[in-house]
Amino acid sequence: MSTTSPGAGALGLAVTRSPLTAARSRYAGFALRRLAQAVLVILLAYVLVFLVLAAIPGDPVSAQLDNPEAGYTEAEKARIRSFYGLDKPVLVQLALALGRALHGDLGISLSTSASVSSTIGEALPSTLALASSALVLAVLIALALGFASQRLPEGRPNALVRTLPTVFLSTPNFLIGLVLIQVLAVQLGLFSIIEPESAGATLFAALTLAIPVSAQIAQVLITALDTTASLDHTEVALSRGLTPLRVFARHLLRPSLLPTVTVCGLVVGELLGGSLITETIFGRAGLGTVVQKAVSSQDVPVLQAAVVLSAAVFVLVNLVIDLVLPALDPRLRPIQEAS
Amino acid sequence: MSAAVLTTGEPTAAAEAPSASPRRRLPLTVVLALLVLALVLAFSLVPGLLTRSDPAAGIPAAKFTAPGTQYLLGTDHLGRDLLSRIVHGSASSMTSALVAVAIGVIVGGAIGLVAGYAGGWADAVLGRLVDVLLAIPSFLLAVVVVTALGYDTRNAAIATGVSAVAVFARLMRAEVLRVRTSVFIEAARLNGGSGGYVLVRHVLPNAVRPVLSLAVLQFGLAILTIAGLAFLGYGDPPPASDWGLLVADGREHLLHAPWLVLAPGLTIAIVVLSVSRLSRFIDTERNR
Amino acid sequence: MTSRPSSEEPLLTVEHLHVAYGRSEVVRDVSFTVPRGSTLALIGESGSGKSTIARAVLRLLDRRGAHVRGSITLRGRAIHDLPEPALRPLRGRVLGFVPQDPGSSLNPVRTIGSQALEAAALVPEASTRAAREDLVRDALERVGLSDPGRIAAAYPHQLSGGQLQRVLIALAIIPRPALLVADEPTSALDVTVQKQILDLLASLQAELGIGLLLITHDLALAAERSQQVVVLSGGSIQEAGPTAQVFERPHSDYTRRLQADVPGLHPDRFAALRAGRGDTAGGSPGDAAAGSPARLEADRITRTFRTAGGDVPALREVSFAVRRGTTHALVGESGSGKTTAARALMGLEPLDSGRLRVDGRAIDPGDRRSLRSLRRDLQLVHQNPFTSLDPRFRVGRIVREPLDLYGVGSAAERRERVRWALDAVRLGEDLLGRRPTALSGGQRQRVAIARALVLRPEVLVLDEPTSALDVSVQAGILEVLATLQRDLGLTYLFISHDLGVVRQIADTLTVLRRGEVVEEGEAARVLAAPQHEYTQRLLSSVPALGGRRDEDILEATA
Repeated sequence: MSTTSPGAGALGLAVTRSPLTAARSRYAGFALRRLAQAVLVILLAYVLVFLVLAAIPGDPVSAQLDNPEAGYTEAEKARIRSFYGLDKPVLVQLALALGRALHGDLGISLSTSASVSSTIGEALPSTLALASSALVLAVLIALALGFASQRLPEGRPNALVRTLPTVFLSTPNFLIGLVLIQVLAVQLGLFSIIEPESAGATLFAALTLAIPVSAQIAQVLITALDTTASLDHTEVALSRGLTPLRVFARHLLRPSLLPTVTVCGLVVGELLGGSLITETIFGRAGLGTVVQKAVSSQDVPVLQAAVVLSAAVFVLVNLVIDLVLPALDPRLRPIQEAS
Repeated sequence: MSAAVLTTGEPTAAAEAPSASPRRRLPLTVVLALLVLALVLAFSLVPGLLTRSDPAAGIPAAKFTAPGTQYLLGTDHLGRDLLSRIVHGSASSMTSALVAVAIGVIVGGAIGLVAGYAGGWADAVLGRLVDVLLAIPSFLLAVVVVTALGYDTRNAAIATGVSAVAVFARLMRAEVLRVRTSVFIEAARLNGGSGGYVLVRHVLPNAVRPVLSLAVLQFGLAILTIAGLAFLGYGDPPPASDWGLLVADGREHLLHAPWLVLAPGLTIAIVVLSVSRLSRFIDTERNR
Repeated sequence: MTSRPSSEEPLLTVEHLHVAYGRSEVVRDVSFTVPRGSTLALIGESGSGKSTIARAVLRLLDRRGAHVRGSITLRGRAIHDLPEPALRPLRGRVLGFVPQDPGSSLNPVRTIGSQALEAAALVPEASTRAAREDLVRDALERVGLSDPGRIAAAYPHQLSGGQLQRVLIALAIIPRPALLVADEPTSALDVTVQKQILDLLASLQAELGIGLLLITHDLALAAERSQQVVVLSGGSIQEAGPTAQVFERPHSDYTRRLQADVPGLHPDRFAALRAGRGDTAGGSPGDAAAGSPARLEADRITRTFRTAGGDVPALREVSFAVRRGTTHALVGESGSGKTTAARALMGLEPLDSGRLRVDGRAIDPGDRRSLRSLRRDLQLVHQNPFTSLDPRFRVGRIVREPLDLYGVGSAAERRERVRWALDAVRLGEDLLGRRPTALSGGQRQRVAIARALVLRPEVLVLDEPTSALDVSVQAGILEVLATLQRDLGLTYLFISHDLGVVRQIADTLTVLRRGEVVEEGEAARVLAAPQHEYTQRLLSSVPALGGRRDEDILEATA
């Protein structure tokens, strides 16, 4: 954190080391506890999804196996049945599946007979590219709105900036996607929908996904900026003769980053969930498409793995953010003695 | 000793008492939002009032008519009146969003209330459950639940409700904790209020307002989620005319009949926008 | 725009200043002048417009949508219509600002050092980093922070309020401004710290020749620290002139009334009321002889809070007793344990050891049943009336609630009691249907007192009941309390940090510091001739109450 360090060494007096190491070990304890919690949540998510899918009326696995079009031989059927423990109670099936999942074996797709890991592994890069570029776009849009909300004088333009997030959030993303395709691809020819994984198509797919997500980030950012602006320290900084731009960057934006970074973690869920519709519209072969296919063919093992993987991504991203936040806000750091 | 002696002491009383004055007028945008919602409510209750044409019966000769005087919003590939289909689809869209919010408020509210008020073990266990529900991306959770229950609009509503439980639980818990530690709660306890009395008379009424505001907001988001599920084909099958399904149907004809996508899509956007405006209004009024 | 500066020219001239938000004008036709190196105090209660004037002078109102008219001239240069970029070089370098609440006036996520260097970077002469560091170190040392390295490395939340206010003053004087605008620079601080900060400002003023525009609600403070005063009410000037003249011969009614309400200037204000208590049963000395010596009794009570940073003793073997029908004050600064004692008495806080007794009945926080019956006779009035009333209840229901919960009387009787209680605190019945948000601070605190009275308790525990209120409102509340004691024979335990108020209202007192009793006895005697060094320091910190004599004692002992 180069922005926070100048004061410490500047006056030639370093902080004594011993309280710092104590603080480090306290931070390590905090990190371990959060990690254990994260692992627990992922495991429980697996259990929850498993139990919900077990409630599917009839037995989707058997239904799929007995489907003549699938063309399974009796021997294969028996092997798959015993693999999933279908003749045993649900809880035993859960234990079997969980045990294998912990060893990295996610099972076999019922509709393609390919392994679930490879099915998902092939789809994942496309979705990660989409989701991460959408997150970058969303953050940029939110920053622009946040900046405008503080710099524009009170009046219509400012009110409009503050209304935009609500408008973004209220517009269904399939409408945004279809309009973008219609106007930009078909009428203006800015990108081609024939090559869904091309850079241009990815950009606009990401924009579709980013618009509602940017609204959530912008709402939190604008509220945080307003709260910070109402604190005395921005006024005091201004009275000291700093330029408005510097006051915005160091005294307004910097303290407002904490809730904003937190919400960036929370929107990861929206990005992964939203990819379902966006990928469908733009014809991309990502995780969302895999989920859709799995749902329509009742391919339980694939659906289970895809959903739990999404949950795991969400939990891990938020874990990292939790662990990084103390660097952004000294008030979250473990107490140093002798202060 | 007369009371007059003391009145001089409070020159600021009038300045500090804004809400003693008669009610202010509603902002224009809130009035517009209420009008939109009243219109949609009318669509849902008496769809025949505004449009007489049958939403399911089309006139093949009139297919793909562009919006105009005869058909306000145009017709689809079977020559069915789009306006009529949107109007007849509103009841199902509205009720399912309502069901979803009801599930979220009741289940999530109860979880948050117990966790916040009881604390201790109950809070720890319920807290983990909420963590798990929050961890699964809500749209995926809704997809999983609707897969388990079967594809129709009612199940999509239930699925949307389940995916909203966590946010209500979290907000309710935070509100209960905030109110529970207020000084006026301590005052009520000191005056002999039992735990149950304080919960019902002081904690709940003060915690419920933000939850109400969230409920209205979630009503809008539920419309979006249910429309998304319908768009992917997890709601009632055609000839139903849920708004999301109308967009999905119109998608094939996007190139030559864009109104088939725009009209139902914008309907969703305008309704959700109105709901959001109302939610924000409730939220700001809370502080007055 | 007047011509070249001369030595006779005033530092700051404000002429015909008006400030309006929309259609409501909050400052009306205000004019005053601050000469070089001197102090002018703007005095007023909340809503008087004094802070708005300070912000108008600092040109901080533009972004708040305020409409400002009139002229502001700084060292001969009109600044009210300077465009922002032309104004910026004056900020800090000519015009410094010391804000009210040090806790929220520094950027919480950056070190003191980085914020100080930022301020130093605006000084044209400090072109190198080393020069800036020198400036920062000098400034921190000058404001009495002896370990500048540690302070610079710290974040705001790691320092105390007094340290933060020193830091803010240091930051303000780095560019050597000609004028400091100090907006209630001490009102968020403990009294002993207040005095240190005010002394610091005075010495800086003398050394650096800085002019001071001091915004305050505290008349006594203004009387002691300024050469000129401007008294404001409702946005307009009520009175202005040399300090001595305004305080010795105030000519406006408002100033006279305001002055009469300052506790420190009128120790005997409620003497007549309190003398009237003589013939109530509780107050007579014969009662004490008859075997019930004290209504309230604390016997070596001890309480320690266990925190992550170690054990914090809140109360250490504290004992006191309160006679029937009298007022006993627990006096101390923040962290003295006075509020913990009050909460323990209400059964809200367990004790590690010691006994609390009300009329000989022991208080046991674990025994709900006996607590419930005890609290009928023992009621608490909280410090902050803005949080102690349920915002969703109306006044009538707030006051009636204890009657409902204790099942007192019929519906008609309860209504009658509520009316009686509101009348006792002199609130009209027209307020019955209002919610707390539609009441002023003083009205709210009266509602809270009415709620405490409605069960007809014997004892009221008053936890700083007036510290959140303006002086004139405070005087009204104190008068109500004194009258109630006379008429109903109530016993008060009065928690306060304000020795002026304590002298007006208390019969006996206990001075606490960090959980320990440092001095106790008859209020009049202790305050006239304090024995303990800490009590002396507390007294001398109260402007216009301690006087020079105490200051000499302090210097001898410090």
